Amino acid sequence: MPDRLSFFIPRESRVHSLNPLTKLALAFSLIILAFFGPGLFLPVALYFFVLVPLSLLGKVGKEFLQTSFRLLLPLFAFLFVMQSLFYPGGETVIFSFWIFSATSEGVVFAFRTATRILVMVSSFLLLLLTTHPSTLMNDLSRRGVPASLSYIITSTLQIIPQMQARAVTIQDAQRSRGLDTGGNLINRIRSLLPLVGPLVFSSLVDVEERAIAIEARAFTLPVKKTSLIDIPDSRGEAVLRWVMAALSLMTIGYRIWLSLN
Amino acid sequence: MNIEIKELVFAYPNGVLALEGVTVGIPTGSLVAIVGQNGAGKTTLVKHLNGLLRPTSGLVQIGDWDTRQRSVAELANRIGFIFQNPDDQLFCRTVKEEVQFGPRSLGFENDRIETLVEAALELTELHEKASQNPYDLSPAWRKMVALASILAMDTPIVVMDEPTTGQDAVSIERISRIVQSLHGSGKTVIAITHDIDFCAENFERMIVMRQGMVVLDGPIQEVVAEREMLASTYVEQPQITRLAKRLGFSTIVYKPDDFIRVLHDS
Repeated sequence: MPDRLSFFIPRESRVHSLNPLTKLALAFSLIILAFFGPGLFLPVALYFFVLVPLSLLGKVGKEFLQTSFRLLLPLFAFLFVMQSLFYPGGETVIFSFWIFSATSEGVVFAFRTATRILVMVSSFLLLLLTTHPSTLMNDLSRRGVPASLSYIITSTLQIIPQMQARAVTIQDAQRSRGLDTGGNLINRIRSLLPLVGPLVFSSLVDVEERAIAIEARAFTLPVKKTSLIDIPDSRGEAVLRWVMAALSLMTIGYRIWLSLN
Repeated sequence: MNIEIKELVFAYPNGVLALEGVTVGIPTGSLVAIVGQNGAGKTTLVKHLNGLLRPTSGLVQIGDWDTRQRSVAELANRIGFIFQNPDDQLFCRTVKEEVQFGPRSLGFENDRIETLVEAALELTELHEKASQNPYDLSPAWRKMVALASILAMDTPIVVMDEPTTGQDAVSIERISRIVQSLHGSGKTVIAITHDIDFCAENFERMIVMRQGMVVLDGPIQEVVAEREMLASTYVEQPQITRLAKRLGFSTIVYKPDDFIRVLHDS
């Protein structure tokens, strides 16, 4: 039974102790740089010279590399095969067989797309590996993001493992009553109602209880709320965030300027 | 039907050792209560009886069956297991259909199902509520539906996980009557409980667990005397036993009737 739904790995590191907003800003600005920045090799450079060192600094290097390879390798293989063979307008043929021919334009396009996706996925991965989702949401709602939005996100992350545990208990309870959950398809379909019924009923009851509980804590009261949890932030990090925002804006500006000329 | 548990060791997939070599024999017709603090391994132990968990090493035998070679559905013929929370199992539209589900799954004849369901509804005092939706009943009565749904399976062994949690006095009385009636018809009843008073008044034998091991096992009157051993697993002596001790009784009592008798005699 999976006991966690988030990628978060609790460790002590410089990256973990950064303010969540700083890490979020870093993720977004890296993505903007990768997509709009100059040069074919910029995304690869960002990955190897920014993201990988940061993951090592955050003591999540192994998990970072493992997860990003596992997620992206199949995608990359697919991209390279499809784009190098079928990229429209490809003229420079590298090699060909039967009715297919690979063009260098296709390979370049595949490389560009793949490395951009690599930066996009892995910069969020770094954020998620080093930041607990509820810390992120707490910080965001403290800064003015609607509390109901952060409730929806964090409660979902918490409810799903709970429901999984519940589903296991229900399955145990019904098997103890002689319910055979294995076997052929018809048997499995027949055994679905005794399993899904209690799960749905109890979830509905839970929803009502949650609603009452958060209502009882003045969740919907339209006032500015204070935060119980103190999430550390520093002047230096704020400056860093402004620098990243400026860099992102400059990159977008550069892209617009290029397209105008 | 005898239960034999020999050198039972169980480790959860995450490596947590929940049972560290438990050996217990429970002969036919026993009334056994299992107590101990949370995490002592009580539920883990009884989940081995109907095959929900399989031994990491050691042996669990129900009659002539080795649980490793039987499916949960097969073992349901011999072990009735009442879960703590009735809402984990109720799904039918009426109480009666819910109670019929177990014996139906076991493939009993219609006549037999009818007789068993009637008897189970009678015993749990659910007769008048038979056509109601289980979810329209109070939690105490839903617990009765869960009980009835297992009793109707007519298993020689009945396991109850925390039967009295969240129940009022009237409901606990009713559960006591059910336990005695099952005992009267020769069945083995095993209950996991934190309710030491309920256990002293209704059971004959008590197994005390601590950190995956059985630390005490014997007739109730002997086990309740071991105050310090019980305290080491956060179990208190029954209220009546403590009262008797404070009053300076020379004998250990654990039932109100005995208490009154001793009080009269002195």
